[in-house]
Amino acid sequence: MEKKSSENATPPVAAPLKLFGSWASSYTHRVQLALRLKGLEFEYVEEDLGNKSDELLRHNPVHKKVPVLVHGGRALPESVIILQYLDDAWPETRPLLPADAFDRALARFWCHFADDKLGPAVGAVFASTGEDQEAAVRQVHENLALLEVELRDGAFRGRRFFGGDEVGLLDVVLGCGSYWLAVFEDVTGVRLVDADAFPRFNAWLRDFEALDEVRETIPAVDRLLEYARGLRHMLLGLAGANAAAPSADAPTTAAAAPSAAAADIAVDI
Amino acid sequence: MAGAKKGLVLLDFWVSPFGQRCRIALAEKGIPYEYSEQELLGAKSDLLLRSNPVHKKIPVLLHDGRPVCESLVILNYLEEAFPDASPKLLPADDAYARAQARFWAAYSDKVYEVGTRLWKLKGEPQAQARAEIVQVLRNLDGELGERSFFGGEAFGFVDVALVPFVPWLPSYERYGEFSVEGIAPRLAAWARRCAERDSVAKSFHPPEKVDEFINLLKKTYGIE
Repeated sequence: MEKKSSENATPPVAAPLKLFGSWASSYTHRVQLALRLKGLEFEYVEEDLGNKSDELLRHNPVHKKVPVLVHGGRALPESVIILQYLDDAWPETRPLLPADAFDRALARFWCHFADDKLGPAVGAVFASTGEDQEAAVRQVHENLALLEVELRDGAFRGRRFFGGDEVGLLDVVLGCGSYWLAVFEDVTGVRLVDADAFPRFNAWLRDFEALDEVRETIPAVDRLLEYARGLRHMLLGLAGANAAAPSADAPTTAAAAPSAAAADIAVDI
Repeated sequence: MAGAKKGLVLLDFWVSPFGQRCRIALAEKGIPYEYSEQELLGAKSDLLLRSNPVHKKIPVLLHDGRPVCESLVILNYLEEAFPDASPKLLPADDAYARAQARFWAAYSDKVYEVGTRLWKLKGEPQAQARAEIVQVLRNLDGELGERSFFGGEAFGFVDVALVPFVPWLPSYERYGEFSVEGIAPRLAAWARRCAERDSVAKSFHPPEKVDEFINLLKKTYGIE
C-alpha cells in the first residue's frame, strides 16, 4: 500500500471521533474512559466479535481487533497507543501521562506489565481448573504483590492513584480490567485479590471504581457475571473435549497460557 | 539518588537485539553512556536484579542511578529526557505519525517472538510459526512501501526498533525455509540500507555469531 504524505498528517482536533469496540472488552473500556476523562465526544460502534464488520477490518487489517479509534478518517488501533495519541493530539486537556520523562517511563513500563503479565495470568486462572489453575492463581498473586510493593514503598507510594491525585494512563490501563478480578472470583470460586494481602491495591481499585467516569464506562456487574459464566462454561467444555483428543496442542481459547510459557524459555535477553 | 553513579549506564547483553535498539538510539543521538555487559546465562548481577526486580532482564538504562526498563520504554525515554539531542526518532509535531510509529515499533517485537518459536518448536507448531513470520515480514514490507526508511526519508523510531532483528533473519530463513528477499524484497533492501549506518554497523554481530548463540540456547534448554 503506497503512502501519500497528506494521509499521514494528524486530523484537525475538531474532526469526528469514532470508536469501534466491544461492550465486554476492557481494552475498549480504556479508550471510552480516556475519551470521557478528556471530555471528548465520540460515536461508538459495537462490534460483534464473532462477525467483524468490513469497516473494522479495513481500519485494523494487521490485528483485526477492537478497539480502533478513527479520528477524521484515520485509524488508530491498540488501546495504550490510542491513549498516548489522545495526549499528543489534545495536550492541553487533562493529560493522561505525567510530565516528567522518568515518570512517563514508569507509567509505560507498568502498562506493559498489565498487558504482558497480569492480564494473561488472570486469563489463565479463568481458562483452567485444578493444579493448572492453582499455578495460575499463584502467578496472579505474585503480579499483584509487585504492584502492592510499588504502592507501598516504591514508585507510587503515598499516592491515591497511580497518576497521583488524579487518574492517569496507568490507572486507566490497570483499572479497566481489574473489575474482572472480582467477577472471576465469583465465577471460579478462587481468591484473587485478597484485601488483607493487597490492601493498597484494593484501596486504589475501590477509589477508581467510585469515579463517575468509571461508573459510566464499566458495564453493570451482573452483565459481566453472566458473560463470564457463559465464557467459563464454554472454555471448560472445550478443555474437556481437547483433553480427550490425542493432540498435544492446548485449546486455542486458552492460548495465553501456552504461549506465555513458550516465550519464557528462550530469552532473558 | 544519593551516591548513585552519574550519567547513563546501559545494562545489556552482547547479542540482545533489545539491547541493540538502545545502543543504536544512543549512538544516533550522540548521547554518551557506559556499556555494562551482563551475565545472563549464569548468575545475574545484584545491580541487574535490583534495577529490574520485576523481570530481571536487560536492557536497563540507569540514569543517575534510576532504572528505566524495557527497550521501547527506553527509546521513548531517550526522546523525552534528552529533548535537545538530535535526531528526533519520533516525529515531533504529528500525533498520528507518532501513533503509527509506536504501533509498528511494538509490532516489530513479533519478528523475534515468532522467530523464537520457529527455532524452538517442531512439527505443526513450527509450521504455524513459519506461516506467521512470513505474514509478519510481509506486513512490514507493505508498511515500508517504497520509502527509504519506516521514518520516511530519515531513519526513525520503527527503523531502530526493527533493525536489530536483521542479523537473526538468516537463521529464521533456514529454520523456516523461506527467503526474506523472496517474500519481502523491500524489507530486504531496507535491511541492507540500514546496515550501512555507523550506529547499526557498530552494534551488529555477524549472523554466524547469532546462529551460534541460538545453538547455545538450544543446548541450554535441551532442544534438539
